[in-house]
Amino acid sequence: MDFSLSEEQEMFGNYVRKYLADKGETKIAREFIKGNTEHYQSIFSGLVELGCTAINVPEEHGGMGLGALDLVPVLEEMGRNVLPGLYVETNAFAVPILEKFGTEEQKQKYLPGIAEGSQTFSIAWLEPGGSYKPSDIRMTAKIEGEDILLNGTKSLVPDARLASSLIVPVRTAGEEGKTGISLVILDLSDQTQLRGQKNIDESRHLAELTLEDIRIDKGQLLGPLHQGWEVLEEGLLAANAALVSIMVGGMDKVVEMAAEYAKIRVQFGQPIGRFQAIKHRIADMKVELETARSLAYYANWALETEAEDRVQAIFSARLFAAEAFNRAAGHNVQIHGGIGFTEEIDCHLFVKRARFYENYLGSSYDYYQKAASALGW
Amino acid sequence: MDFSFTKKEEAFREELRTWLETHLPAGWLEGNRQLPEDLNEYSAFLRNWQRKLYEGGWAAIAWPEKYGGRNATLMEEIIYQQEMVRVKAPPLVNYVGIHMVAPTLMQIGTEAQKEAYIHKILTGEEVWCQGYSEPNAGSDLTAIQTTAIKDGDKWVINGQKVWTSFGHLADRCFLLARTSKGEKKHKGITVFLLDMDQPGVETRPIIQMDGKHDFNEVYLTDAIAYDADIVGEVDEGWRVMIALLMHERTGIGGQVFTLEQQFADLVVLTKELQEDGRPLLKQPFVRKTMVDLYARTRGSLLNYYRNLTKTLKNGQPGAEGSMDKLIVSELTKDLFAQSISMQGHRGLLWQEDAIYGDSYWQENYLYSFGMTIGGGTSEVQRNTIAERILGLPKDMGR
Repeated sequence: MDFSLSEEQEMFGNYVRKYLADKGETKIAREFIKGNTEHYQSIFSGLVELGCTAINVPEEHGGMGLGALDLVPVLEEMGRNVLPGLYVETNAFAVPILEKFGTEEQKQKYLPGIAEGSQTFSIAWLEPGGSYKPSDIRMTAKIEGEDILLNGTKSLVPDARLASSLIVPVRTAGEEGKTGISLVILDLSDQTQLRGQKNIDESRHLAELTLEDIRIDKGQLLGPLHQGWEVLEEGLLAANAALVSIMVGGMDKVVEMAAEYAKIRVQFGQPIGRFQAIKHRIADMKVELETARSLAYYANWALETEAEDRVQAIFSARLFAAEAFNRAAGHNVQIHGGIGFTEEIDCHLFVKRARFYENYLGSSYDYYQKAASALGW
Repeated sequence: MDFSFTKKEEAFREELRTWLETHLPAGWLEGNRQLPEDLNEYSAFLRNWQRKLYEGGWAAIAWPEKYGGRNATLMEEIIYQQEMVRVKAPPLVNYVGIHMVAPTLMQIGTEAQKEAYIHKILTGEEVWCQGYSEPNAGSDLTAIQTTAIKDGDKWVINGQKVWTSFGHLADRCFLLARTSKGEKKHKGITVFLLDMDQPGVETRPIIQMDGKHDFNEVYLTDAIAYDADIVGEVDEGWRVMIALLMHERTGIGGQVFTLEQQFADLVVLTKELQEDGRPLLKQPFVRKTMVDLYARTRGSLLNYYRNLTKTLKNGQPGAEGSMDKLIVSELTKDLFAQSISMQGHRGLLWQEDAIYGDSYWQENYLYSFGMTIGGGTSEVQRNTIAERILGLPKDMGR
């Protein structure tokens, strides 16, 4: 019995922590919010040099060939700093499905680039007014000889400007069921039609993507034709396991902020952390944080070892962590009092990021249903 | 990360399983687990069970071999708890003796004390209780008012203890009494090994909100103990108490494993309860609640394993045990509240009128209120988490 990260994993997390601390922690997100994308790109290059992007890329494609658990310490550090970027989408979504469903050409084309940081992915799933359900995938893809012809609009595409390619669920047949959905990889260019969408979490950019008679090569089809939904579901397991750890990182920082502030803020002649109304709330936040962390470790372990209970483990962990992160981020504002309500202090960055994740890649409601079904209920 | 057990650990589990199958009381494994109501029969039943454990070498596995234990590893202790929970084994009547008193005596007791008590604790011949809490000293044990006044080689003890588990069956008591008024409140407390069978000790039952009688009040009126009954030094009982707590290295493992079982029972209940001809578990609202409880139940187990890993690495338990206690007790309360709520108005029905003809859910629901109080209230656990883990300042007055 050993339920902990390995020494190597802990050590790697420490490297990332030191690196991000040197670079100013949440100042990275704040620069990004100001529009300084180059600054973020330079930070990202540093993470690439540390090896973050190569961790789970197979060795034959230029990576380290490690597993989901090895991403955990990196994800926690990113979460602690509300780091912008597409690490989850690229390493925890695109990599596992490329590895499992990609053609040899696709692997050659994308995986080495991911490992060396020149290739990033985002996911263009939602459509205007739609949900994550199969019936709301309306963008059409018509196969014409060696081409695929794309028409339609995607909405809330995360950080498309940082992405080199998008994974796009499209409809190749039928009108609403799961069957008839396929995935295509769309390589972005400066000419791609994107309209930025304002969003409360400004450390993540969202955009609407309109495709009118866009032709891509048939070789950009990812996974079996008409059966793309299964590929998506597989990707969702890995992406969610990663999301839990990134949320745990966010909570970790939030609990630390609340505790540190409660030690130094003096009212009524004493640090407010002496009052049980404050102290007990922070203790509860800590308990939820550690519970989420245990669930996250297990979720990633279950993913890596293909454990029988991986679906319920991953989805219930995601639900728990999303609720707990949102709760903790809110309490953190309250514990900071007036200063917590200001733009100047970081509290709001976590509130906004927690809300970003709550219904990301599937609503809470969907995940309750999925977890319950996986439990055989 | 590795959740597997070693071959040696699995062999240990198998050996215990085999032993339990042949030695549990007749009919126990088949579900006939009713304990006798009559106090004498109840006492005899539990003592008999402990005797059997002793004879099989299963009463005190963590003890050193020279005292009759197996020198079990922490993992073997965990497996022991898992197996005992799995078969819903009868309670260990001498829990206080085996897990607290004897290990403390082995560490800091006199040779005479070791000689006199340890073996009888193991066999169940002498059952021990714990004399800590008082009417005015619950969470704040430094406020105890029971006094022990020296008179030659005797100590004359006066005061009142409360919440004494198995006090009505106990032969001896591990008692805290004030022997002097120190400047600091935790100074001046002394631990005595008190004989319960004497005129100065009177035990009265406490009937709990679940109708049961596990606890007692103990009235001490000129009760007598001797110099030889003192553990450690006079006025240094606080340190003895801390030493005793460190012997609780499995923490609340038993409750964690019990909770897993109770959650599984709740799933069965929500499948069997129907509304409009469909299992309750098919309703979206119930599904959400149950997935939440599933995550929290798994979380409590996994947290426990994570803290256990730390204990294995550090050699002793840390303040994280407070987290386990808080999580499991609060979750147990929520789980049983949910079970009653989901039964609708008939959730009120009791005993033979209750669902399935017994009050399993109702009794556990009522009992669960004690779980966030006994063994350190949730408020005390939150203080510990905030102060010892997060470094927040202590309250005024502590």
